Amino acid sequence: MDLVKLREKAAADFKEVGFPTSKEELWRFIDVSRVANAEFSNEWKPSDLEFQSLDKITVVFENGKLSREKSNFDELPAGVCIGSILDLVDPRIGTLADAKNAFVSSNTAYFSDGYFVDIAEGVKLESAIHVVYLADVDGAAFHLRNFISAGADAEVSVIEEYIGKSGTQYWTNAVTEAFTADRAWVDHYKIQRESEAAFHFQTLESHLGAASVFSNHAVTFGAALGRNDIRGKMTGEEGEAICNGLYLLKDNQIFDTHMFMDHAVPKCNSHELYKGILDDTSRGIFCGRILVQKDAQETDAIQNNGNLLLSRAAKVHTMPQLEIYADDVKCTHGATVGELDEEALYYLQTRGINPKKGHAMLVFAFANEVMDEVKCKTVKTYIEELVYAWLENAHV
Amino acid sequence: MPLLEIKDLHASVADKPIIKGLNLTINPGEVHAIMGPNGAGKSTLSNVLAGNEAYEKTSGQILLDGVDVDDMAPHERACAGMFLAFQYPVEIPGISNMYFLKAAVNAVREAQGKDQLDAMDFLDLVEDKKKMVKIRGDLLERAVNSGFSGGEKKRNEIFQMSMLEPKLCILDETDSGLDIDALRIVSDGVNALRSADRGFLVITHYQRLLDYIVPDFVHVLVDGQIVKSGDKDLALELESGGYASWVAE
Repeated sequence: MDLVKLREKAAADFKEVGFPTSKEELWRFIDVSRVANAEFSNEWKPSDLEFQSLDKITVVFENGKLSREKSNFDELPAGVCIGSILDLVDPRIGTLADAKNAFVSSNTAYFSDGYFVDIAEGVKLESAIHVVYLADVDGAAFHLRNFISAGADAEVSVIEEYIGKSGTQYWTNAVTEAFTADRAWVDHYKIQRESEAAFHFQTLESHLGAASVFSNHAVTFGAALGRNDIRGKMTGEEGEAICNGLYLLKDNQIFDTHMFMDHAVPKCNSHELYKGILDDTSRGIFCGRILVQKDAQETDAIQNNGNLLLSRAAKVHTMPQLEIYADDVKCTHGATVGELDEEALYYLQTRGINPKKGHAMLVFAFANEVMDEVKCKTVKTYIEELVYAWLENAHV
Repeated sequence: MPLLEIKDLHASVADKPIIKGLNLTINPGEVHAIMGPNGAGKSTLSNVLAGNEAYEKTSGQILLDGVDVDDMAPHERACAGMFLAFQYPVEIPGISNMYFLKAAVNAVREAQGKDQLDAMDFLDLVEDKKKMVKIRGDLLERAVNSGFSGGEKKRNEIFQMSMLEPKLCILDETDSGLDIDALRIVSDGVNALRSADRGFLVITHYQRLLDYIVPDFVHVLVDGQIVKSGDKDLALELESGGYASWVAE
């Protein structure tokens, strides 16, 4: 289907299905009526927000529109194409993110911009691509559509960072489709620092070719109401998916992570480590579903979700789900909601560290475990600093 | 003034009396070994000294440098110069050894009215001490004790001890789980730290460790009391005769 038709169909789908209600299983713990009932305008202005470049290549969107001026992707190595999704002609757009729901359908119908990254076969891009979305228009809706394609044996790191102005209410509705061809390596990060009043929804869909690696780290700080739908499908043997994440929530924040990993073929690995730290009256939702299809023998899948509640009023719903139709598989899952390790606190104390500081160190440690597999050192340091800053203001 | 004075100490774990009237005095520069069979109260003693809340001191006195430590929390005891090398060092995933050590060194320095070490000075200190306990650099970059072998954990304890420069070093069964090579390296580290103003309390089940860390005094702990004290030869006596005669009494 060509893109015009696809978008028309998506608009019709959106009209037909409308926003989900909590009666639907996948939306049971999150009430999106606040988004459904809000009015959004098309007003646009350049953004006053600042950001810190994390590598040589930056792609910057100001209130939903690509800013050539603030971006830096003019000089690229051979075999690397980066640009606005509006300039991309690729029949694969919309083939992964084809869910008929309000967020994906409205995105497909109305996306105004977004990035595409196309890495040719065998090309290993050294610099990470830092995509920055700046948002500071009250009442705006940003439908952002992104597309990553890594050819066979290609390697690329993409960092999506969402930055919003404190106090501003807007809706970010993003969809990213990632094609990881055979033996390719896509290292994807998402740092979500939206305004505390914003709505943030993103669907990330990826297909993994044979012996490819798709890695995703999602770190969530912002938004009043938000959700990540992270979906991966193994399409070739010996693929490996790493999906790790951290959500740090306070005040009345509600954040939902829905993960779906589809082991459709044999001999693939997937591991997911998600941690949540919840303060005040915030609420976290984690739903991780691993599907091991009938032919997917020798699957190795691990999923873990750990939560730390810093306040009695904070809440978390965690639902790991394994659905296994093959018989020769290694799958484990686990979920915890807990407090800090007293023995570790004692150990720190015997080294002179006072309980308050020790507490903060352990909370940080709890969060930081998620970062163990971050390959990009700059990204790791940057996230660590953000986590520290968050903890400074939390009740630890 | 004695470095450590323990007077008629009684202590319980979960309301069960374990230490039943223990007396011990350690002067600066001395190395004391406490030996005893399983269940004698060796680990309880080290935990009560360090201030572990799971262990209850029911009566008696513990004086560090003449100061009663009763009201001192574990970190205050550490800042006052006490160091406990754990029998089972705790793994803390997510905190790098270097970060942990820097926080510890600076906490102790702050309590002692010394300036905080900046990154450069801290690294210099690390380089200096690293040689002493022969600890590999990559262990310092890793999370605290996480995935360390038994020997690496114990070496890390001694490394921390050398970094914090305590007055009183308590070694709780540091030899457990060590092979001969690791035992030698750990002992060399301890011996390098021996000085005229530092005291050691070496708690062990086996005499073997005392071949490497030669004590000035040896005490036999049985059923929560010191039943005999002597010099290093007492350890050899125990090695040949075992604890049986004491336990039988």
